[in-house]
Amino acid sequence: MVNLTIDGKTIEVKEGTTVLNAARANGVEIPTLCDHPQLTPYGGCRLCLVEVEGARTLQPSCTLPVNNNMVVHTDSEKVREARKFVLTMIFSERNHFCPYCQVSGGDCELQNAAYDEGMTHWPLQPNWKPFPVDASHPYIIMEHNRCILCRRCVRACGELVGNFTLGFEERGADSALVADLGLPLGESSCIGCGTCVQICPTGALIDRWSAYQGKETDVEITKTICQGCSVGCGIEVLTRDNRLVRIEGDWDAEINGGVLCDVGRFEPKTDERERVLTPMLRKDGALKAATWEDALAVISSKMKSSNGKAAAIASTRLSLEAMDAFNQVCRAAGIQSVFSSEESLPTAAAWKIAEKVGKPFESKLDALKQADCYLLIGEDLTKDHQVLSFFMKRNLPAGASLIHVGSADSGFKNYANVILPVAAGKEAEFLGDLKTLLNGGDSKATAAKYGLNEEYLAESVKLMKSAAKPAIVLGSRYDYKQPVETCQAALDIANAMKAIFISSKGGANSLAAAQMGMDDAIDLTGAEMVILAAADDKFSQTFMKKFEKVPFLVVFSSYVSPLTASADVVLPVRNWLEQDGHFVNLEGRLLSAKAALEAPQDVLSTFEALEKLAAGMNVKLASTWKDALKTTSAVMVD
Amino acid sequence: MAKPKVASDWLAGCAGCHMSLLDIDERIAKLVQLVDLRATPITDLKEPDESGVTVGILEGGINNSYNEEVAKKMRSRCQILVALGDCAVFGGVPAMRNFFTIEESLKRAYIETPSTDGSGKIPSSPELAVPTRVRAIHEVVKVDVFIPGCPPDADIIFFALSELAQGRIPKLENQNLMWN
Repeated sequence: MVNLTIDGKTIEVKEGTTVLNAARANGVEIPTLCDHPQLTPYGGCRLCLVEVEGARTLQPSCTLPVNNNMVVHTDSEKVREARKFVLTMIFSERNHFCPYCQVSGGDCELQNAAYDEGMTHWPLQPNWKPFPVDASHPYIIMEHNRCILCRRCVRACGELVGNFTLGFEERGADSALVADLGLPLGESSCIGCGTCVQICPTGALIDRWSAYQGKETDVEITKTICQGCSVGCGIEVLTRDNRLVRIEGDWDAEINGGVLCDVGRFEPKTDERERVLTPMLRKDGALKAATWEDALAVISSKMKSSNGKAAAIASTRLSLEAMDAFNQVCRAAGIQSVFSSEESLPTAAAWKIAEKVGKPFESKLDALKQADCYLLIGEDLTKDHQVLSFFMKRNLPAGASLIHVGSADSGFKNYANVILPVAAGKEAEFLGDLKTLLNGGDSKATAAKYGLNEEYLAESVKLMKSAAKPAIVLGSRYDYKQPVETCQAALDIANAMKAIFISSKGGANSLAAAQMGMDDAIDLTGAEMVILAAADDKFSQTFMKKFEKVPFLVVFSSYVSPLTASADVVLPVRNWLEQDGHFVNLEGRLLSAKAALEAPQDVLSTFEALEKLAAGMNVKLASTWKDALKTTSAVMVD
Repeated sequence: MAKPKVASDWLAGCAGCHMSLLDIDERIAKLVQLVDLRATPITDLKEPDESGVTVGILEGGINNSYNEEVAKKMRSRCQILVALGDCAVFGGVPAMRNFFTIEESLKRAYIETPSTDGSGKIPSSPELAVPTRVRAIHEVVKVDVFIPGCPPDADIIFFALSELAQGRIPKLENQNLMWN
């Protein structure tokens, strides 16, 4: 521990703490711009200068480690003058006219810093050099004229996302943010995750879908979770007058620590699907608006008359409550075949092994963040469950290695040490042979067997053997020919290497779906009636094709789709932003989602709709999901 | 004690700050009890008294030789000069044209706009003021009080004017400091 004095207050902090953090931990505020709690200190903006007794010049507190008996002044005349001078210089560099900037009025850290220093004007006027505006990206606008060169975005892109798209070119006043080696952002390696937009202290990086729609001071903020996939990232939903303004990553969320991918951040804002606003019944070949009572009566009488010759499918985007109710209503009506929309394929494999093994074998995401060698099997995590790829990519510069057993055009091709394109269907066998190689075997023969480059295979084995904290990541993919065998083979390698094992699973609640027993492949043969709780899910053409020949189709859906068009009964349900509920993420963590928007009139949550249906059928619903989880979710993830 | 004399004028602005001043509504009656309102662009007297005023208020930036003359005259005739609004304080919206040359701006305004009839013509006459780069007032003459805002809120204007009327220099901070 180190003792120091800040503004006359004697404090004790751990060695290695920066003066800035020591001050903040003890209630002394020092203004900053380039500093961010999630990033390594940079010392670029000089706004955090403090006076240290005995030091020749003012020192940047964000990069200055504490010393024993250090005496620091954060509010002396000299410091205040320096702060004003730093701000004056920043304002004079580019176009920082507030009235026509998206972030003015609460969201701009530069403006707020000037207010805090009581600046009524700029002692130095701008130099009027125009910089270009890059609007080539579908989500992000790069406004160089508003940039203060703090490099927060550059550090976030590298340190948090591991993408390293952003950098700087030129020197001095000509310094400019650049994507790759000078490409327009929209043509660069940018993956559109928007972390740079969220972390930008000014209006230099703005989100074109929410620009000029609301300020931090006049929006409502709801903390909830993203339901785009099984990771379950913490988000903040900004709304105004019951309209979605923007989605941001929650910096305090344990799972994602503020980062999000484009699916979570931008896709909900650009979703242009038409809503289903009223229940509909097919009459004389055409869908007609109906009341909830009429629609539910038709469903329950059909459920009774089909005598169990029916099938039910729930989207994995359903909350635990809704999934549980769906299961109970369907089973009470004698429907034996209750599936999940993913047929739980990726999740079910791991789940089946979990049931057999009887003890936990998967690790938490924290372990993934700490690993130093990744063997990724299957799924291209740069396209799905993307936040997992951030956790992996960000460790690569520190020496972690990445081996992707996937296709040659993997999104990791610029990042991975080795890509091993193993033919589909051969994964399980290959993993078995790889395990043998780890114990010393002939990589030449194995390489030849799978048509792989021998050198690359040998390199993979070397990397895996030399790793201190290896991680085996099994991606969810729907075309594993032998999902259980593949999962078992991956797990065998993990056990042999004492590596951590994580499978990415599928949708927001696919682990729960598997745990509730909805893990069979969808089979609609002989079903006179099919009930699909689609919620706000987007289905593939192949999936929707399964329903073409269904004699009587009931769809609970938020949006109009080919499925609702061919249905016999359509029930309007809320989308993910309009309802509360619980989810189990891929590591078995129970997460709670909160409604951020109010649903249109007459649109119920899937759970409420099922409650009504159950009441009409005299089925008593019990809340069984909590008990089910207690006995099952701990089994899979340690 | 005689009431302090106040004069105002507008330069390269939109008159919005004077409109915001009028938004102080009935409080203007209180204000005129405290001050002697002299020349303003919205009253009959157009120039500040030659004998001088206590407070001179300027809205808008300085974008030509005429504005420069008005600013210098106001400065020479007032004791305390107030820059009112973002254009006067920073240059504001008109200063966006500083990112282009004056020739480009004139061409855009008089020839290239879709509403221009016929071929369009850049006005030129020795009687017209000579356009310059848009400057904040304090780049041309010394300013004593800055009231930023686009426009400054009526409450902020009332606060500043009532402070001045009572012989104090207003200090804008916290809720009263808004650049918009």
